[in-house]
Amino acid sequence: MKIVGLLLIIAGWIVAVVGPLITPSTSGRMALALIGIALSIFGILGVLNKAHLKHALWKG
Amino acid sequence: MRDRLLIRSAACIAVVLLFSFGLCAWAQTPSPAAPVVQAAPAMDAPLNVQAAQPPSTADLAKGDPGGTMTGTINDISVSDSKKGLTLADALNQVGQNKIAINFTWTLITGFLVMFMQAGFALVETGLCRAKNANHTMMMNFMVYSFGLFAYWVCGFAIQMGGAGPIANLGGTIPLSAEHVFTVLGKPWGLFGSHGFFLSQAGTYDVGVMVIFLFQMVFMDTALTIVTGSAAERWKFAAFAVSSIFMGAITYPLFANWAWGGGWLSQLGANFGLGHGYADFAGSGVVHAVGGITALAVSMIIGPRIGKYNRDGSPNAMPGHDIVIVLAGCFILAFGWFGFNPGSTLGASGNGALRIGSVAVNTMLAGCTGSFGAIIYMWIRYGKPDASMTGNGLLAGLVAITAPSGFVNTIGSVIIGLIAGVLVCLSVEFFDRVVRVDDPVGAISVHGVNGIWGVISVGLFADGRSNYGGSWNGVSGSVRGLFYGDPGQLVAQLIGVATLVGFVFAFSYIANLVIDVVVGQRVSAEDELEGLDIPEMGALGYPEFVLKPEAHGVASASYASGD
Repeated sequence: MKIVGLLLIIAGWIVAVVGPLITPSTSGRMALALIGIALSIFGILGVLNKAHLKHALWKG
Repeated sequence: MRDRLLIRSAACIAVVLLFSFGLCAWAQTPSPAAPVVQAAPAMDAPLNVQAAQPPSTADLAKGDPGGTMTGTINDISVSDSKKGLTLADALNQVGQNKIAINFTWTLITGFLVMFMQAGFALVETGLCRAKNANHTMMMNFMVYSFGLFAYWVCGFAIQMGGAGPIANLGGTIPLSAEHVFTVLGKPWGLFGSHGFFLSQAGTYDVGVMVIFLFQMVFMDTALTIVTGSAAERWKFAAFAVSSIFMGAITYPLFANWAWGGGWLSQLGANFGLGHGYADFAGSGVVHAVGGITALAVSMIIGPRIGKYNRDGSPNAMPGHDIVIVLAGCFILAFGWFGFNPGSTLGASGNGALRIGSVAVNTMLAGCTGSFGAIIYMWIRYGKPDASMTGNGLLAGLVAITAPSGFVNTIGSVIIGLIAGVLVCLSVEFFDRVVRVDDPVGAISVHGVNGIWGVISVGLFADGRSNYGGSWNGVSGSVRGLFYGDPGQLVAQLIGVATLVGFVFAFSYIANLVIDVVVGQRVSAEDELEGLDIPEMGALGYPEFVLKPEAHGVASASYASGD
């Protein structure tokens, strides 16, 4: 799960960065940047952190 | 008949006289002056110093209580004493005075930023328990040395090695090597390569030294953010390795992309996105990089023993000294007057007189940040919480750091107020929902509000600033969405995506490797005892009696007291 989380985080960054290369529209670029940020945050908090919490000290 | 003749004669005389007077008057009207071509004074010709009436030696011997005779033409250095003062000497002195003002400004504001380390040390130590005081203080103390050394070896070269000339500092021409790769015909700057050890490729240079000192203290601020969120359970050796790596690689990479001529700063020139990623003093470069790295390290290390119950509900683990926390906040607020106004890199030329506006924006956002936090806490919990009010002040200051050079006072008040509320919501979110333990709230103060600061440039920049006619190679002033440029907001969002996507992933992987090699977390026994003795060999407060509590939480009281 940690690897999946990391891949999502990096994928989010790439989506935002390639936005200016694939569309000239400001709205399109903004949408891609927001999607990229959301994907990365989901990867950090929704996937990677959950994987860490699975074996958290306080659960033991 | 005779009368008529007389009248005619008189009329003729009158006409002649009138004509003559008119002719004389016309002759006396000054004609448009022909341009007088004067030879430009030779640059090396001696000037008549006495014409400026400088004070005599006898006058000066009487003293100058009014300060009217000190600093005159007599004080201009001459290049050739035989020739005396020349125009070239006078003009060179003017240029050197401008650079001297800017050097002095940048160095003194850099010294203020360096003093912020003391503020961070007090805030973080005060918010931790007494049994970890020595350890927390030492991390804040040594992060300065670890970071500085790493930055001198290679961090500065990676960040600023290709930054190009900085006009306010007299050129810094040797910083001219940026590694670029090209995608679809657009150049993407990745990292610089001049300035390793501050001695390579002509970087033994007065201007380079000034920008090194200023950028170094910024980098150190980013590093010290992590020590707060990982406090009370971070192994000192792992902290040392992690800090050196961050000062050498992680921070300089993102700082190059934003400030060193890298690809983020070129989003405007290459793709028409406003003025490219704009971060005046580092909400993103310094604070968000620090806060996001803090999140990565905190996730790897895990929460402190006793922070969470079996059902996942959090326990409050209050700090041991709110007095030093709030004193530290004041020191930080003072240092911020170096952080933001100093980022003009000068007080003379290229719009640097905007330092007054930058300073006022900084103080206003700090003020409304503490307002936002105190009001939120008072309404929600019935008491004006001191530590969160301090964090509100810092959140406002973090948020205004990026936009401070681009917004007006209304914008700074709104940005600070939102930051003050945001930090309270974020601390609760990380504490209760995400369950990432952050003893000092560094992730919320610096990470979340650093990102808010970056976004706020894309919203509130009012297009009235002018730093030499352009920013990031795009002419005109930075303008946000509310002032007509949605492209600027897109550039800022790409910066945010890079922070949460690249910086987080890079820091996470690096610290995961450190965890495998060195081990990031102390043993449970050491943590319960407090890190002062096991890690540092001495207590922070040897005359305190530390009382173990449930979950190993210790509180301090004076030996003579209860």
